[in-house]
Amino acid sequence: MSERPLPAAPGYLASSLRVFDLSIGEMLWSRRTIFMVLIVAAPVLIALLIRAIDALSGGRAMQVDGIRMAGPAIFGMMIWIFYLRFTVPVLGVFYGTSLIADEVEDKTITYLFTRPIPRGAVLAGKYLAYMACTVFVVLPSVVLVYLLIAPLRGSLGGSFLDLVKDLLLLAIGLGAYGALFALVGSTFKRPLLIGLIFIFGWEQAALAFPGYLKKFTVAYYLQALVPHAMPSNSALSLIQGIFRDTPSFGMSLFWLAVIWGVCLAVAARMVERKEYVLEQ
Amino acid sequence: MTKQTRYFMAGSAAVIVAGLGVGLAAYYTGGFPSLSASRTGPAELAYVPADSPVVAYANVREVMNSSLRQQFKQSMPDRTDEGQREFQQRTGIDIERDIDYVVAAMAGPETQGEHDPNGLVVARGRFNTGLLETLARDHGGVVEEYKGKRLVTVSERRQDSGTPDDTDRRHHGAITLAFLEPGLVGIGSQAAIKSAIDAQLTAHSITSNDAMMELVSDIESGNNAWAVGRFDAIANQTHLPDEIRSRIPAVKTFAVMSHIDGGLTGTLRAETRDEQSAENLRQVVQGFLALGRMQAQSDPKVAAMLQSLQLSGSGTTVALSFAVPAEVFSLMGQAHRNGNQR
Repeated sequence: MSERPLPAAPGYLASSLRVFDLSIGEMLWSRRTIFMVLIVAAPVLIALLIRAIDALSGGRAMQVDGIRMAGPAIFGMMIWIFYLRFTVPVLGVFYGTSLIADEVEDKTITYLFTRPIPRGAVLAGKYLAYMACTVFVVLPSVVLVYLLIAPLRGSLGGSFLDLVKDLLLLAIGLGAYGALFALVGSTFKRPLLIGLIFIFGWEQAALAFPGYLKKFTVAYYLQALVPHAMPSNSALSLIQGIFRDTPSFGMSLFWLAVIWGVCLAVAARMVERKEYVLEQ
Repeated sequence: MTKQTRYFMAGSAAVIVAGLGVGLAAYYTGGFPSLSASRTGPAELAYVPADSPVVAYANVREVMNSSLRQQFKQSMPDRTDEGQREFQQRTGIDIERDIDYVVAAMAGPETQGEHDPNGLVVARGRFNTGLLETLARDHGGVVEEYKGKRLVTVSERRQDSGTPDDTDRRHHGAITLAFLEPGLVGIGSQAAIKSAIDAQLTAHSITSNDAMMELVSDIESGNNAWAVGRFDAIANQTHLPDEIRSRIPAVKTFAVMSHIDGGLTGTLRAETRDEQSAENLRQVVQGFLALGRMQAQSDPKVAAMLQSLQLSGSGTTVALSFAVPAEVFSLMGQAHRNGNQR
């Protein structure tokens, strides 16, 4: 009697999609998502509040130096302050660093690694789940803020191209930060701490100094794609504005693509080769 | 993937698609009007920088279709439309049909060059952008992108007198044509055009300038041409001698509005700094009107025109309204014809 041949192991893409399918639900309905919902709901609530205050004061409350703030300008400011400087890097850190680190911490990585799939596909599938999860939570929030704020002494049509650019750049930002912190998560032991130091320490400081240091940040390239004027809402952002030099659109896209590709490739290779020691 | 996850993703995607759909529809229809704040004036005011001291509007379509214009054309049959035809052949723009309305503005102090005062004209209509760009390129136009808008700059080179050397040539009268939106072009100096694009993108336009928007909102509906602004900007622009400038009553702002159809009706309104200045201005205008009426007794067309002038206003407001009937224009046409025959 001849033995039945084993079915061929799934390829890299099929394995990644299988891991994606498994991880998306876990990621979306985790406690971390409650935190994410709170982060992205805040701008929507603030937008509602702005509309209410504006309606009650007849537009007189939203004035800066005697000039009424128009919706598109407020929308641009919200994109900078809430999404670009906070939501995107913070979600990148929290989700990106947890892609592999959580499995290690929960001691469940063994179950994934004993499957007949390439180890790198585990990271790729989880990264896809991260992208789907964050994009489908962050972008609707931006769209709601746009619908609420842009018509305020402005027009939806006039700000439409900015909205499209904002959605694209936020997705690019989530991708770049996610890839970077996926690498951090698969390499270091305390990835969350390192990630937080990177976004709130290194990036902020590097952008505030003249010179080439800012080129070693993600924010430098991402901020060059923003179609809105940079707000000077704090002393730090005022200094960052003074020393700001903007790389060209093509150069920014190129370096973001490099950061994304290199970080993901190195992270996948790291997962393929590294021996994860589970603490007893 | 669970059903719950699928529903969530479908809901999120629906919000994104609906938002983009509404935005796209608004983009192609010229934007939905503001929901809370009442919009005053044309939507193109969004391209006029907040510090512009003078802004004007003309509904070219209505003026071109007005019976007054038709009458003008009939009363001056010798006036050929060759220039207009040539303009149409070169640019593809039929002035009578293709331009709906224009918004013009004087550049603010930040945009204005020292020796090159510049303005901005934004025209809404139907334009063959390819032909316009080709025409500009043929005249040495340089094409560039500025914040997603296409700009074509044509520099007219003029030789300075007495300096035949090429090195002494310098750029004069550089004009930029910008394709701002489908069916919307901007014309002006490069600085003015860039400032207009910035104003629209940052929403720091004249619509956020309460003082100017109050003047715009005072324009009665039905006027198809108007201009409002700060008087000091005009006085500075015309470089009046100090002696004359000091004698002009302290006028703060002005508004001119007119309706062109069967005839020409309109109002010229000025706001002075105080009531005394307004009284002085009223007396000056009253004096000029009396003098004009005395002089015009022998000329029926001037007399008819002066008869229509009415001075009014109280407090710091001085208003001069006028209504020139179509018959006056007929008389002018007749005089023009008689002059040609002689």
